[in-house]
Amino acid sequence: MINTEGMVAETATKIYTDLCARDVPHEAEAGRYPQALWDALTENGLPLAWVSEANGGFGADYDETFGAIWASAQAASPVPFAETLIANWMLDRAGLAPADGSASFALSGHTPSADIPFGMHADKIVLFDEAHHEISLFDNRLAVRSPEESLSPDGMTQFIFSGHLAEQSAKTDLSRRAIEALILTVRAVQMAAAMESALNMSIDYVTQREQFGRPLSKFQAIQQQLAVAASECAAATMAATQAASAIARHADDPEQAWHEAVVAKVQIGHSIEAVTVPFHQVHGAMGYTQEYDLHHYTRRLWAWRDALGNEHHWSKRLGETLAVTSPDHVWKGVTTGQWIAS
Amino acid sequence: MQRFNFPVVQPDPALEDLRGELQAFLKEEREAGNFRPEPECWMAAADPKFSRKMGKRGWIGLTWSSQYGGHDKSALERYIVTEETLRSGAPVAAHWIADRQHAPMLLAHGTEEQKLDILPRIAAGECYFAIGLSEPGAGSDLANVKTKAEKVPEGWKVNGQKIWSSGAHMCHYMVALLRTSPADGRNRHVGLSQIMIDLSLPGVTIKPIVDLSGDAHFNEVYFEDVIVPDDCLLGEEGGGWKQVTGELAMERSGPERFLSSYITLETALHQLNGKMGSDSHARLGKLIASLRTLKGMSWGIANLLDQGVSPETEAALVKDLGNRLENDLTQQVRAMLNDLPSEDWSPDMRRIMNIGVLRSPPNTLRGGTTEVMRGITARQLGLR
Repeated sequence: MINTEGMVAETATKIYTDLCARDVPHEAEAGRYPQALWDALTENGLPLAWVSEANGGFGADYDETFGAIWASAQAASPVPFAETLIANWMLDRAGLAPADGSASFALSGHTPSADIPFGMHADKIVLFDEAHHEISLFDNRLAVRSPEESLSPDGMTQFIFSGHLAEQSAKTDLSRRAIEALILTVRAVQMAAAMESALNMSIDYVTQREQFGRPLSKFQAIQQQLAVAASECAAATMAATQAASAIARHADDPEQAWHEAVVAKVQIGHSIEAVTVPFHQVHGAMGYTQEYDLHHYTRRLWAWRDALGNEHHWSKRLGETLAVTSPDHVWKGVTTGQWIAS
Repeated sequence: MQRFNFPVVQPDPALEDLRGELQAFLKEEREAGNFRPEPECWMAAADPKFSRKMGKRGWIGLTWSSQYGGHDKSALERYIVTEETLRSGAPVAAHWIADRQHAPMLLAHGTEEQKLDILPRIAAGECYFAIGLSEPGAGSDLANVKTKAEKVPEGWKVNGQKIWSSGAHMCHYMVALLRTSPADGRNRHVGLSQIMIDLSLPGVTIKPIVDLSGDAHFNEVYFEDVIVPDDCLLGEEGGGWKQVTGELAMERSGPERFLSSYITLETALHQLNGKMGSDSHARLGKLIASLRTLKGMSWGIANLLDQGVSPETEAALVKDLGNRLENDLTQQVRAMLNDLPSEDWSPDMRRIMNIGVLRSPPNTLRGGTTEVMRGITARQLGLR
């Protein structure tokens, strides 16, 4: 589930409503980092939602925390809220204390560097080293930070791990698939939420804007475009919700949630073109401006679609996995969400 | 927070036992050569003998009470049955429509006598119903119904014509949407009523229409001074439009809206076992992601229907997305099969693929066209 009515979600929603009004994402992009927003999230302990109580967190329910992530994406959060949640979850799963400050994450097989979302702002970087089954915490403030080309307004930097000494490291029994499951699910929730915000903006716009003597919404061509986009948004929400439910159901063994997470990433990744095209089309030239808010959502959607592998990459991964199981197992997965690991 | 209402439902182990029983039965029937699987089986593959077997096993009429020959089971158990029969491409078209929509309609609006007479026969797989909505001049403009029922001392006198009535040639009854009083000015939704017509009555003529695949599953049905008894008026006189739109939610959200062509993919998976290239892997992954998502949406609606909620817009969304997926599935599988020289295709693969292509056009028409579905969604979005 994505529970937007739980206490964690409601606290996050209130903070985002109060401190992330429409000018905040614009200002963040212009270089004025919304420290007050980050401080409020931290004061309420929200970045520790997925840290166990034993480790100083409050072991919050997955459903409610996904609701908080939903709220952050709908507010076009220009702070690394979801990223810190993921990074702290990784640390916790290795028995390490949560990061002091904001954090982002990287998965590394053999590469000595990784592209880090929010790399200019995150205080810490958490690395999963697959080869050594190890999770390590690095201080990003000590790194040479220079922005990489990124579609996302949140930016990205490269972090070169060789030559850096980890502040802490520990072995983990988490598999790469387990970590992928959580990250892909978080991205799916963000994408579904951002899609819906952009849909709402589009509906408001076509209802208000008049052309040829009547509101745009009265043109059947516009209605049909937005109806298609709305159906893609509804499917995205379902896919994200199914993935979120799988994570909650398999909290002890998140690897079991991998298929549902990949399904969500594939489903949503493929719909992004099908929604962002009509959203921009119905907005006309207005939606193409820096001044208007639509791009806060569409640019993030385009970035998240590519993050950790695009829809083609994950479709292929999912297909490869399913091609070696029996058609009976494929059917079982489709109908029940219980996938046989392969 | 979210614009549409699609509850997510956790897997239920009890339902999976039922699934297992169905799978065993369907496998046995298929291996015994009692049916050859085909796409769109719920529309075009009718076999009364098979329907009676389903009836004997208790897999028709799951949801209504044993008093009327039913099995007191939930709509969710019924959903599992529909899912498994679609997956195997079984010949279920004879009883499908009666089980899906006319039995619930009779339960809501029929007389006690009708319920005791007809429902047990539906549940036994022996009594079939045809839908009587479309007319030659109406098409997607459903409210443009011209077929009339006039009040006469013996009941109702019906004159006119219905079209695209699947299975009417083998059905016992049709529930027809008829004009029982003139439209009120421009409001064409008033004055329409639903009347159940025994198709063996004098004055009923049924003519098959052959489709481009060579099947003759749908029909033209003519009514010439057909006298129908009073108690065959279902629900309220003049309340037909409202009743029909409620019924359509049931009709549009079921697994038949996205699984009708699954047999094509399943057959290809058996064929391509170990021989799939990376392009096909990508196509497979995308199809499965969409199927899994649609299942979630359709299942969410099934749960709402089970609680007595009838979500019309959500059903329209599922139908629109599902129909697109079904047609895409056939196209993607065609591409995937390039990994195998065509001389290696089994005769079944060839037959199923051909049927899949030939039967694809009505996917986006039957039960309301894609454009009409998007119109319903646009209204919900506040654009109309």
